[in-house]
Amino acid sequence: MKKIIVENLKYKYPLTESLALDNLSFEVEQGEFIGIIGANASGKSTLCQSIVGLVPHFYKGAYGGTVIVDGLKVMDHAVSDIALKVGIVFQNPFNQVTGSKLTVLEEIAFGLENIGVPQTEMLERIETVLELLNIAPYRERHPFDLSGGQMQRMAIASIIAMKPNIIVLDEPTSQLDPEGAEEVFQAIHRLSEQGITVIMVEHKMEKIAHYCNRVMLLQKGKMIDFDTPEKIFSRDDLETYGVTAPVYTRVCKALDLKIPGTDYYPVTLEQASRVLGGKIK
Amino acid sequence: MIKISNLSYAYTKNTPIFSEINLEFDRRSTAIIGQNGAGKTTLAKLLKGLLKPFDGEIMIGQYNVKTVSAAELSKVIGLVFQNPNDQIFKSKVLDEVMFGPLAIKMSESAAKKNALEALELVGLHEQLETNPHDLSLSEKKLLCVAAVVAMDPEIIVFDEPTIGQDYAGKEKIRNIIQVLKKRNKLVMTIIHDMDFVAENFERTIVINEGIVILDGDTRKVFAEREILKHAHVEDPSITQLGKVLGFQETFLTVEEFVQRWKQSQR
Amino acid sequence: MKSISLYTDRKSVLHSLDPINKLYYIAFAIFIPIILPSIEISLACVALSFTLLISGKVFTKTMPAFGVVLFTLLTVILIQGLFRPGNATILFQAGPFTMYREGLLYASILSLRVINIVSSFMILVLTTSPSDLVDSLVRKGMSPRIGYVISSVFQIIPEMMAAMETITDAQRARGMETEGNLRVRIRAFFPLLGPVVLGSLINTKERAMALEVRGFNAKSPKTYLLDQKQYRFSTVIQWGILFVIGCAIVWRLAS
Repeated sequence: MKKIIVENLKYKYPLTESLALDNLSFEVEQGEFIGIIGANASGKSTLCQSIVGLVPHFYKGAYGGTVIVDGLKVMDHAVSDIALKVGIVFQNPFNQVTGSKLTVLEEIAFGLENIGVPQTEMLERIETVLELLNIAPYRERHPFDLSGGQMQRMAIASIIAMKPNIIVLDEPTSQLDPEGAEEVFQAIHRLSEQGITVIMVEHKMEKIAHYCNRVMLLQKGKMIDFDTPEKIFSRDDLETYGVTAPVYTRVCKALDLKIPGTDYYPVTLEQASRVLGGKIK
Repeated sequence: MIKISNLSYAYTKNTPIFSEINLEFDRRSTAIIGQNGAGKTTLAKLLKGLLKPFDGEIMIGQYNVKTVSAAELSKVIGLVFQNPNDQIFKSKVLDEVMFGPLAIKMSESAAKKNALEALELVGLHEQLETNPHDLSLSEKKLLCVAAVVAMDPEIIVFDEPTIGQDYAGKEKIRNIIQVLKKRNKLVMTIIHDMDFVAENFERTIVINEGIVILDGDTRKVFAEREILKHAHVEDPSITQLGKVLGFQETFLTVEEFVQRWKQSQR
Repeated sequence: MKSISLYTDRKSVLHSLDPINKLYYIAFAIFIPIILPSIEISLACVALSFTLLISGKVFTKTMPAFGVVLFTLLTVILIQGLFRPGNATILFQAGPFTMYREGLLYASILSLRVINIVSSFMILVLTTSPSDLVDSLVRKGMSPRIGYVISSVFQIIPEMMAAMETITDAQRARGMETEGNLRVRIRAFFPLLGPVVLGSLINTKERAMALEVRGFNAKSPKTYLLDQKQYRFSTVIQWGILFVIGCAIVWRLAS
């Protein structure tokens, strides 16, 4: 089932000259884990925000084409309606805390209160997401007293509690230390295994290669390519788009060792060690 | 260049951040790594004189950090903060970079000369008149680097320089660090990006819960997998690949690995 | 957790009362001395407010506020006592200054009213957690958006002050002197102002988006995670206060 359908999407922020998104068309199936990569200012964040309706509803600006998310046409619905279908998590966990709630429990409830979920169901949903994101021990803590990784997982929990079918994450781990980042990646991985469609912008290519089914490469608002990690990272012109392949791919490229039976290089530690391991004398 | 003896520090009395730290820094480029909350940023602020040690001493060159003001210290040690928006306030790129040199009483002409050189180093020399807030976040970060380099301190400390940088931005930071090293500056950084550490820094210090648990040549440090794990630090991707394949050596760069691999295939 | 709230967590009857009652009491403290302008009534009201503050175990906490208030009132008493038009009865003389009875009486009534009103606000602020107050008001029908603004201010301002500290450090790191005489401090002000304003604008934009996607503007009726706090005697107290105010008006009109 198609969860996201984007057709000829064009968008320009108010007071700017050039298109932030330039004629994008693509589709995403239910349960896919999609990575978005590209240089800074290539339109990654704008694309994320267009899927949840912040573009154009929050920013205004010039908009063309259509985005359909889980059957809803984004242009015709308010952000709070679209929020029931798709959630978004931003880069800075700190700015996603409401600042009006005193415990993690209440913080997660904020969205549910707004959309009018009955109290008993609210409690059930909160318990589920606390477990899913491994933050149950902190339920009574003050939201601002959490570490970055915990705070970001709380932000994801707050979104997941609203039961969207799709979650968009815009560089969710860039402010975190490696351990905090790994906690977040594993949490997202668990969501993906539960059938939630995931769209993630990320600079850490090793992580993208490890977790994603497909990778979209953007440049200046245009889609350059949208394919499997192996195909994308085997491209010779990656660096001209401001990205570099995972370390494992770069090693195998230098040694010209492809995944057997394909035209592509390994992208993960596992694939690389399999290919290289077979050659150890 | 820097000598830390018996340093202790705490934000509140009962929870010490550091107790009795001893460290010396020479001109080797140095990465300070460890989990968030391990005390890395506190250490940088202590070195910079923004916090004063409770006990013990920090000597930077002939300056005792305890007795001189942070402003005075900025002639010898510069710190590039993580978030450029915490710093930028001038309406032109050139003015922003000249602010520091003028604040430490450099002459107008020397300040301008240094500022122009620093902007050339970070690649912003064609945007002297631009309003800094019209720059992208990664350009703003480079602007802040230039603002510190223009003050020409002997020691430059970066706080998470690679966060939010794409491939091109990282290459620029890498190049800036190399140039500063050539100018015989001590370059230090607090950083989470282990691949970047492996490729660019000679010495690595691992801090965990306010204690230096590893300190030495980067290669030796990344060989200590067990201790690193204990400090919640992941070793660099290329190091992991070498280990998985059973190599005895600790690899730090793709090139090293490729070369060693080719040898093994002969 | 730092907070700018003055709320002091104690166990007392006052703490367990409905925040709405305390709003009623503020109205009581403002109107009664106006309706019944005699100095005895004003004194009685102040005595009542002080008794409540003491019963709430927060009387010592009011001292800093009263310090400022009393200082201001002292100047009012002096000016009115010395210079009020209509001053006739001399009370005493000190050098070239003459203190009059009429002015002093007027200033005393004024002062008692101010002290009374300040006390009633203190009762609210010191014995009510801001989130309880907002919660009560929103359930009474106040817009959740206004409620959000009020309760978030208490937490976000301390965070902004922390950000301010980082910004100060960033500028000191560039050789800016922030300590010393007034001139140095004023010079240091502008390099701090820009980043603080810009930083909070950026944060506000991001937070606004984060709220938006969590249904902040949803049209559906709101539900609550926590049950409404059960307060005792709320209706009795509120009607009681209204009744007393009503009586005072009748008394005034009749006499």
